This record gives sequence, C-alpha cells and structure tokens, in this order.
Amino acid sequence: MVKVDRINISNEGLTKFFSPIEAQIMEVLWENDEMMTSEITKKTNIPLSSVAGTLDRLVKADFAKRKVDKNGQRIRYIYSATTTANNAANAITTRILDSLVDTFGAVAIENFSNYKKNK
Amino acid sequence: MKSITDELVCYATCINNSELLPMILFFIGASLLLFMFYMKTQTPIHRIISFAGAQTSMVGAIAATFSTMECSRMFTIEVYLAYVSISTGIMIFLPGLYYKILIKRHNARPISEIVDWADEFVNTLANDSQVYYFDSAIPKAFASGKTIFVSVGMLEIFNEQELKAVLAHEAWHLRHNNKTPILRQLSLMTFTKYRPKQELELMADRFAEEIVGKVPLESAREKLI
Repeated sequence: MVKVDRINISNEGLTKFFSPIEAQIMEVLWENDEMMTSEITKKTNIPLSSVAGTLDRLVKADFAKRKVDKNGQRIRYIYSATTTANNAANAITTRILDSLVDTFGAVAIENFSNYKKNK
Repeated sequence: MKSITDELVCYATCINNSELLPMILFFIGASLLLFMFYMKTQTPIHRIISFAGAQTSMVGAIAATFSTMECSRMFTIEVYLAYVSISTGIMIFLPGLYYKILIKRHNARPISEIVDWADEFVNTLANDSQVYYFDSAIPKAFASGKTIFVSVGMLEIFNEQELKAVLAHEAWHLRHNNKTPILRQLSLMTFTKYRPKQELELMADRFAEEIVGKVPLESAREKLI
C-alpha cells in the first residue's frame, strides 16, 4: 500500500513514505512527463508482475494518473505523476506537521521554531 | 423435534431395517469407485465426468437414506432440504445477474470502444456474448454470464493473436457456463471440495488452441508467468 499514513522513519529516502517499488516508480514518473508501462518496467528494472499492481495502487492513491492510448491496434496506458516531486513533498510534509501539532500541540510548534533557529 | 443423538439413532435403526440398504450401499460403492477412477485418470473430460458421477451417486445415497426414514419431522432432513433449495436457487440465478454486478464494480466499458474486432470474434465462438474492458494494469481476464471481462493491462501486453487465444479460452467458459454451476452444486450438496476447476481450465485451453493454434496460446501463457 501507499503508506503516507504509515511512515517508517528508520527507512532511507522516499521509502519512509512509499514501499521500495512505489518509490522507484514515483521517482521515474517525477523525472519524466509521460511513460508507458513497458518504459516504467525498463527504467525501474522491476518485472511487470510487480509493477502492474503497484501502478494500480499509486493511481488509486492519486499519486499517479493514467490514460488509455490507442496506437494503431495496440492499446497502452500512458502514466504521469499527478503532481511534481516538490508539490508531493509539500503535501507529505504538511500532513506530517499537522499530525505532530495535533498530537503534541505547543511542544511541536516550539520544536519547529528551535529547529528553524538551529538551521 | 428430536435431539441430534436421537436422530442419529433413528438413522441407524431405519437404515438397518430398510429394504433400501442394498441400494444405499450400491450408491456409496459406486461413488467410491468413480472417485478412485477420478484420482487415477489424467484425461480432463474423464476426470470431470467421473467426479460428477461420484457426486451424483453420493446424492443418490443421501436421497435413498432420507427415504428410509420412518420418523416424521427429522430436523437434519429439513435443514438439508432448505440448504439444497437455497443453494440451487443461488447457483441457477446468480450467474445471470452477477455479470451486471461485475460491470458496475469494475466500472467496465464495452470493448468495442477501443478494440473493433473483439465482440465479433467472440460471437463466432459463443452466441450473444459481449466483451468488456476495465481499468487495471494487472493482466486479467474472466467470464461471467454471457460476458467476458478483460483488463487494460492484458490489452497492453498481448498482441492480437494472443488476445484471441485468451478470448477463445474465456468463450469456452461462456459456452459451458450452464454446466459448471451443476458441478458446483453437486459439491455443495455432498459437502465436498469443488475440484474440477483445473480440468475446466485445461479444456478451455485446448479449445483456444483449436481456434488460434498453439503458438499464441503458449506465448500468452508465458507473458503471464
């Protein structure tokens, strides 16, 4: 599952918020405007059997979108990210901050302030 | 109303005193023999026939046992008859309605919107059938009622010949979809596992091979591994 609601802070990079396959696919989609399924499997080097279900989940979770394209007799999906990497980072950060403030209130806000000063 | 223990004693007494005992034993024996044949044979059609025969013999044994009962208002018989009536009703009427639920659930669309030959091809194999496609990257196809469902993921990875192999396979299921509920119902009535699925898939594959040849069928199968 796309797991923004189940963050694993001990993981590296995007796998804090996505599964490793989801993270690889999202990175490819953020780097490219539009991609076919075959291009995604080639770029990520992940077999179709794993990519297909993950793409369905990313579309359902609204991180990716797709359209059906007919090229001659061949049917194919064209995928793209629903938003840029920066906008996604912004949305994820906002959700995490909201959650921290909901739980810890003033302490969380004070920590953000200290964090900013230290930076 | 008797307790279950009383009913079991009643069954044993009535069967022992009944003239139908040889018939019950015959049905049980026939069922065991047919099931042994089912386990031994490798031919799909023989496996399906022997499985159905074994199940039918078991139903015969159950019916004969019930008819030996001299006690009135047997609770187990009433429960069994209600179970059989309800499950038979579901098995007969569900396939005719279920495809409509599937169309809605998968938000499926007629395949004629994106593939122009599929409906015509399937109709040459199974009359009055229709093909729908649905939004999923996972390569998947299945049949229900008079309808074949194909995912966009399947349309993506298969060429026309491979897709014809899949549609022919599913069309075989449509052609026999009035018989498979009977097999399921026999399993329900005898409380045994529904086993012939693998044989049915093999027979559908053989039919697809007759229609499109071995090469597209095998390459389609390889792409799904």
